[in-house]
Amino acid sequence: MTEPSTTTRPIYLMLRMKPPWVFVDEIRRFVESFCACACPGETREAQVALAVHELMQNAIPHAGGENVDLTLQVDPIADRIEIAVSNPATEEQFLDFKRRLDRINTEPDPLQSYLRAMSEAPMNQRGGLGLARVRFEAQLELSITREGNRITVLAWGRLRAPLLQVPGGIHV
Amino acid sequence: MSSPSLPGARTPIIQVSEEKYSASLHVEPLGTRVHFRGTISTVNPAGVLNPFVDQVHEHLLKAGAKDVRVDFTELEFCNSSGFKSFIYWIQKIQAAGDKQYRLRFISSPARKWQRTSLLALSCYSPNAVEIG
Repeated sequence: MTEPSTTTRPIYLMLRMKPPWVFVDEIRRFVESFCACACPGETREAQVALAVHELMQNAIPHAGGENVDLTLQVDPIADRIEIAVSNPATEEQFLDFKRRLDRINTEPDPLQSYLRAMSEAPMNQRGGLGLARVRFEAQLELSITREGNRITVLAWGRLRAPLLQVPGGIHV
Repeated sequence: MSSPSLPGARTPIIQVSEEKYSASLHVEPLGTRVHFRGTISTVNPAGVLNPFVDQVHEHLLKAGAKDVRVDFTELEFCNSSGFKSFIYWIQKIQAAGDKQYRLRFISSPARKWQRTSLLALSCYSPNAVEIG
């Protein structure tokens, strides 16, 4: 009896890091390669890598030198991808993050939410665009939870996501 | 840091670089091309890219350009903070009145993130953005 193909089982990747900012690129490249290997024939690796990059980029400044945890789950049978990034955060940081996320999620259309973020984000300082970018470009839903002094941002969606469509019929 | 150079020289007219990325403006027979290379993923790339965009925009206004090619073929990645510099650029174009020009992006099929990012930019400003 042969082993079932690895692509029919949920596949997990767990990383615990104390990364300075410069390692974010390496993590993104690794995640992209990992997804390409985990799900050959699917086309989600670049979107997942983008999402991991943006979520890690949000987490590192708040981690204060403590652990940042990344968990990635790819489930071909359930047609699901799940990314969880957790880091230490204060109550104030959690509430601020939740407020921003609630505002993004209030808009049912991820593109409209992204376009609004583009118009409102401050142009000369960082921040304000990454979460909306993940929701539209990576086609992942977003939520946040808090346990003790750590927050976890969860991004999830279909492994076999439909083509992105925008007004005018352009799609990729 | 950006460093203007002499007009007519083979070197870029305007350029900027950091450890992981660079951007440069070239005047070529096909027209003006702005070339981005590397990985834009620093904490606040706007501090480097926005002044570059300012210089490029002024150059294009003075030249009366109708369009400019924005070459992404060697841009491995751009984080959301860097992406905002392209929004900043579009906002400057939108404010240019009758001197507006178009950004004609040249993307790399191998860099799949570019398709979604440029699609979003084209939705943000259909008049200023064209995807090649």
